Amino acid sequence: MHLIGNLSIYLALALSIYAFIIFILGIYKQDQRLVDSGKAASLIVFIMASISMLILFTALGTSQLQFEYVSAYTSTDLPILYKLAALWAGNAGSLLLWTFFLTMYTAMVVYSRKMKNNPLTPYVAAIMLANTIFFYLILGFVAKPFVLLDQVPVEGRGLNPMLQDPGMLLHPVTLYLGYVGLAVPFAFAIAALIVKNIDAFWLRMTRRWTIIAWMFLTLGNVIGGYWAYTELGWGGYWAWDPVENASFMPWLTVTAYLHSVMIQERKGMLKIWNISLIILSYALTLFGTFLVRSGVLTSVHAFGDSNLGAYFLIFMALAVIFSLYILMSRYHLLKKDSGQFESFFSKESSFLVNNLILVGATFAVFWGTIFPLVSEAVRGTKVTVGIPFFNTVMSPILLALIFVMAVCPLIAWQRSTAKNLRDNFLIPAILSLVVVGLLAGLGMRAAYPIISFGIISFMLLTHILEFYRGVKARRKVTKEAYPVALYWLMIKNRRRYGGYIVHFGIALMAIGIVGSNFDTETMKTVPKGGTIEIQDYVLTYEYLAQRSEGINDIVFANIRVTKNGKELGYVQPERIFYGSWEEPSTEVAVLGSLREDLYVVLSAWEKDERATFVVKVNPLVKWVWIGSFVLVIGSVFAIWTGKYGNTTPRYTGPQRKVS
Amino acid sequence: MKKVIAALTLLLLISVIPAYAGDQYDFKSAEFKEVASQFMCMCGCGQDHFECNMQGCGLNDSFKQEMKEMMDDGLTKDEIKDYYIGMYGEEILTAPEKKGFSLTAWILPFAVLGVAGVGIVFVIRKWVAGYKEEPILFEELTEEQELEDEIVKSMIDEERKKYF
Repeated sequence: MHLIGNLSIYLALALSIYAFIIFILGIYKQDQRLVDSGKAASLIVFIMASISMLILFTALGTSQLQFEYVSAYTSTDLPILYKLAALWAGNAGSLLLWTFFLTMYTAMVVYSRKMKNNPLTPYVAAIMLANTIFFYLILGFVAKPFVLLDQVPVEGRGLNPMLQDPGMLLHPVTLYLGYVGLAVPFAFAIAALIVKNIDAFWLRMTRRWTIIAWMFLTLGNVIGGYWAYTELGWGGYWAWDPVENASFMPWLTVTAYLHSVMIQERKGMLKIWNISLIILSYALTLFGTFLVRSGVLTSVHAFGDSNLGAYFLIFMALAVIFSLYILMSRYHLLKKDSGQFESFFSKESSFLVNNLILVGATFAVFWGTIFPLVSEAVRGTKVTVGIPFFNTVMSPILLALIFVMAVCPLIAWQRSTAKNLRDNFLIPAILSLVVVGLLAGLGMRAAYPIISFGIISFMLLTHILEFYRGVKARRKVTKEAYPVALYWLMIKNRRRYGGYIVHFGIALMAIGIVGSNFDTETMKTVPKGGTIEIQDYVLTYEYLAQRSEGINDIVFANIRVTKNGKELGYVQPERIFYGSWEEPSTEVAVLGSLREDLYVVLSAWEKDERATFVVKVNPLVKWVWIGSFVLVIGSVFAIWTGKYGNTTPRYTGPQRKVS
Repeated sequence: MKKVIAALTLLLLISVIPAYAGDQYDFKSAEFKEVASQFMCMCGCGQDHFECNMQGCGLNDSFKQEMKEMMDDGLTKDEIKDYYIGMYGEEILTAPEKKGFSLTAWILPFAVLGVAGVGIVFVIRKWVAGYKEEPILFEELTEEQELEDEIVKSMIDEERKKYF
């Protein structure tokens, strides 16, 4: 098995090099047969990557402890799902997953029907294969997944308990789908520059790819947050850890890109900016990988003891230098359509402000992330940049972003008059002020949440108004009933209304994020039968018990919960003691509603059965998860083809000899 | 004798005061949170000393106890902060200080945003100035009319596809 595994890696490496060279030769000689050979090789590389994955899955699933990777990340008692998910628990496996996705995307692009006769195809394929070669070099010579041990151990080291969570099954996979997905628009952008095809065609070709990558990045981040919330026991979901920041930064830049491309599509402007954004986004994915693998910054996510960071740094530098060189060499072409704006008050301007804030936010996160290194280099003193810094710096920036999101949809293209602005914003502004007044009336005194909820409600209201205006306009023409008009309005304008649904999702998430900052916490040691009171909740600690699951022992407390005297049921926070791991892990008990989560952690216990609990009431956290669902629905809605969907255009430009 | 009794009583009172002060703060009080949350736990949990709940984190328990004792002794938040910075350096803090070189951490993001904002204003002004108004051949559509127009066009387009 290990022979086939290694063979699949080295053969794929050889084939990727072959495909890369043959594509270049095919382009150079304008020979379609060579390009076709490259396409076939790309497909075989994908098949090889699938075989490697299959073999590693089999080795993990069947506990082939002679493999170093299997023994390092699994044990025989591990549930089968986690045995398989251990594929992305370590360096070699996770890089194999990355490579698998990369080869999958390459094969999909190369064999896409939409790419037929498209002269960009060999260029895109060659760029993606250059990435594949790098990853296969790492898999073949640095982080090898199929290394055999000299002696077969009796038992594996097991999987870190924190990774034994359903989040482990989804978070890395979705995040990688997002990360790797960004290689596609990047490759298209560079290919378009090389062939000097710099109109908006490549943008339209990659719109769906980019949204898919963005959606997976979002999902990856949110699932990671949910995982942290339920698994780590600190009651939060985002700690501004360097590695979290690493996945947030490309999310911000891609969000900026998805907005600014609309100006290029509509007015042919911002070409340099859009290409720069996609290069930056891709570079940030590599930077993130560098952070995770290098250990230069302290992070709870880092894959320790690895020198892989240096390789990623070199590759990132090469990718950026190459991209910038191509960009600069085409600068004169891109500069041609510098364009015009009709007015300061237009949708175009608001998109630019949106981009300014998003890229500014990226810079703020980047600066905060690398500041410990900067400080050490300048002063010789390492500083820590943690949650208080990021919360302070990012809160006003993200609030400004939500405000721009509120204004953007209702502001007209080209020119917005004072009358337009008044007609569009007066009612939402008044209603938002009512919301602010209500919150103040209900006893909310802190300025930040009041301002935040005011801006969020303003955003929600402008979007509702936008839907209403569309329905009204449609009804005027078609005389349809309201729901029918709404349905057709959305179905026939998927991109626009999908985007607005995404905005709704962001607003709901923002409600959760602002609300969850106002948590209440208590820690108390209570005897059996004792109670803990927090806000309107009374928790009665009934008993402590133990059960076994496989070789793991689970200690749990049974707690009865009432709120304002009303029975809410029982919660059972746990501590799991692993047979193959020193550190026990926390299993938080959450009793949630749309208003708040009751969050209970079993912290410690004594021989006399007194137990210590950390109890939190986290307001509105559920809205973070609900908002993310809405966001995914909006993304899928926007890219859904269907009868009226925005399909990816076919290439209809001048024919070339190879495609 | 009265003076001696008075002095002894005073002494007794003084010795009793810290004992009361010792019960002032518990690990979950707001004041303790304010103090403890400014220090990063170095056990690798990525949390501050208030939040760290890593099992077996010996560091956090002793830190908390020490901080509580200092608070009970009447030290202020800043005095405790200075004490730990003197011992461990700025690295112990959860956020950079707002002075010296560390101040750049706080200022630079907003400075960059401000400069970029000014740049964007200039760029838009340039683009607006370069705008050449074309002669109006048709009456300008309001935004609502534009939307209606779009809908009508899409319906015509659909009909066209159906029959041709």
